[in-house]
Amino acid sequence: MSRPAPLRVLVVEDEALLAFALQEELEEAGHEVVGRAATSAEAIGLARQARPDLALVDVHLLDGPTGVEAGRAIGEAGTVVLFMTANVKRIPADFAGAAGVIAKPYSASGLASALAFVGAALDGGATPPPPWSLQLAPHLRPAEDGRMRLRPP
Amino acid sequence: MNDNSAEASDAAENRRAAFRMGEQLDREHAAGDPFAAAIRRTRMPIIITDPRQPDNPIVFANDAFLKLTGYSRDEVIGRNCRFLQGPDTDRSAVAAIRRAIEEERDQFRCDILNYRKDGTTFWNSLFLSPVRDETGAIHFYFASQQDVTHRKAEEMSTRERAEALELEVGARTRELRESLNRLAAEADSKTLLLHELDHRVKNNLQTIAALIGMQARRAASPEAAEALLGVLGRVEALGTVHRRLYQDRRVDRLDIAVFAHDLAQDLVARSGRADIVLRFDLEPVMIGHQHAAPLALIVNELVTNALRHAFRHDGGEIRLAVRRTGEADGGGARLVVEDDGVGLPGQELGRGSFGRLAVELLASQLGTKPLWQTAEPGTRVVLDLPPAILARPLEETRP
Repeated sequence: MSRPAPLRVLVVEDEALLAFALQEELEEAGHEVVGRAATSAEAIGLARQARPDLALVDVHLLDGPTGVEAGRAIGEAGTVVLFMTANVKRIPADFAGAAGVIAKPYSASGLASALAFVGAALDGGATPPPPWSLQLAPHLRPAEDGRMRLRPP
Repeated sequence: MNDNSAEASDAAENRRAAFRMGEQLDREHAAGDPFAAAIRRTRMPIIITDPRQPDNPIVFANDAFLKLTGYSRDEVIGRNCRFLQGPDTDRSAVAAIRRAIEEERDQFRCDILNYRKDGTTFWNSLFLSPVRDETGAIHFYFASQQDVTHRKAEEMSTRERAEALELEVGARTRELRESLNRLAAEADSKTLLLHELDHRVKNNLQTIAALIGMQARRAASPEAAEALLGVLGRVEALGTVHRRLYQDRRVDRLDIAVFAHDLAQDLVARSGRADIVLRFDLEPVMIGHQHAAPLALIVNELVTNALRHAFRHDGGEIRLAVRRTGEADGGGARLVVEDDGVGLPGQELGRGSFGRLAVELLASQLGTKPLWQTAEPGTRVVLDLPPAILARPLEETRP
């Protein structure tokens, strides 16, 4: 598997163990974790301060099912958002502006493949289809050259 | 009815005229006239009225009539029949009688509620017919009565029974609708509970995987790390099944092709071996949810084994096939994992290995037995799935 472009990632997860393990997996894959947040306020504050490339956002946080709205705010602040949840049906039809969702339970390599795709889409374009572990938001469409981009190069 | 207190003198004169007509009829039809005798003696109540006199008074009433109504002959002769009516008499029946007389209809019949002298009521089946002379002019009206209270009561009770039945049916229908609503609400709450449980299972699987992963990264030896990663792979294989379980519309069945594909892709990606190519030959085959986990574990063992042992130095191809078998072959399905690597002898899935033991055990649980074959080059493992563990396909299957 080719080494993906390193990303600056914010982890938004209320379960400390999962957040910690996720950070280790991300770092092992060569990404930088800018912070871990367990509440929506913490998450939005960290996103505005650190301006990460990507935020991985759980739907259920310490302050309740606030992940969707936190994700919306983080996305509006210019960070690409992926939800990570066991309850994919909780995510609204417009994905609250997020690029997609990684369903739990995800595997280590499923996570790595999803991040590789997002990394490519942020850096010149990714070639669809996305890996099975990544479900893209319905509003995202490939460009004329057939590649997916999450931000203009 | 009591109206004799203030009769005007012409009314009294009218009654006397009616009496006289009655006496005249008596005289004209004295003893020996068989028709008169029959009418006087019959058990059917009969009266005769004279429409040529003012207000069409009764000029004759037989004994049966007097017996039915409780009046004496003196009380009825000279009076219009309306004294038989009372407060509950249907006005439309009265109007119908009046119309029949005005239109001089040759016969008329109706049921009307009448009152006896003592105030009790009876249903009267009234038959009315004019008596004409040779020129067709009406001289008298002939009216026979029949007490049909009994029949009316039956009709009423039939109607009441019908109404009661309708009420009962209405009540039952309401009850049924209510219990249907209750059942629907219960089903909703069960679905909710199921989804909550599913959510917890998924989260727990994620936590277990995180724990094993963390521990593997901290393992004291490469052997310990490898053992933990082997367990992690098996947990992740179960996760693949659970992740799919509630994403589809149906929760009781899964498409083997879909989760086998996800799993194989995941395992090859994790191996980091870009020189190993996956080739799929899949068609939708639905399996009951209780059989999905063992099958996913089997796929995990077979693909993992091929990845670890089939390709020592050079890359190659792993082929994963999920196909229905024809009715002639038992109507089940066949799963094949095949590689073009170094072949069985060097592989850990040889006899006595843990992976092989796991596959044999899981296969026996699914009611089948794996076939280990040499593919020349490489290894082929064939698993025939009996129809008993398969489920009927969804109306719309995933691509």
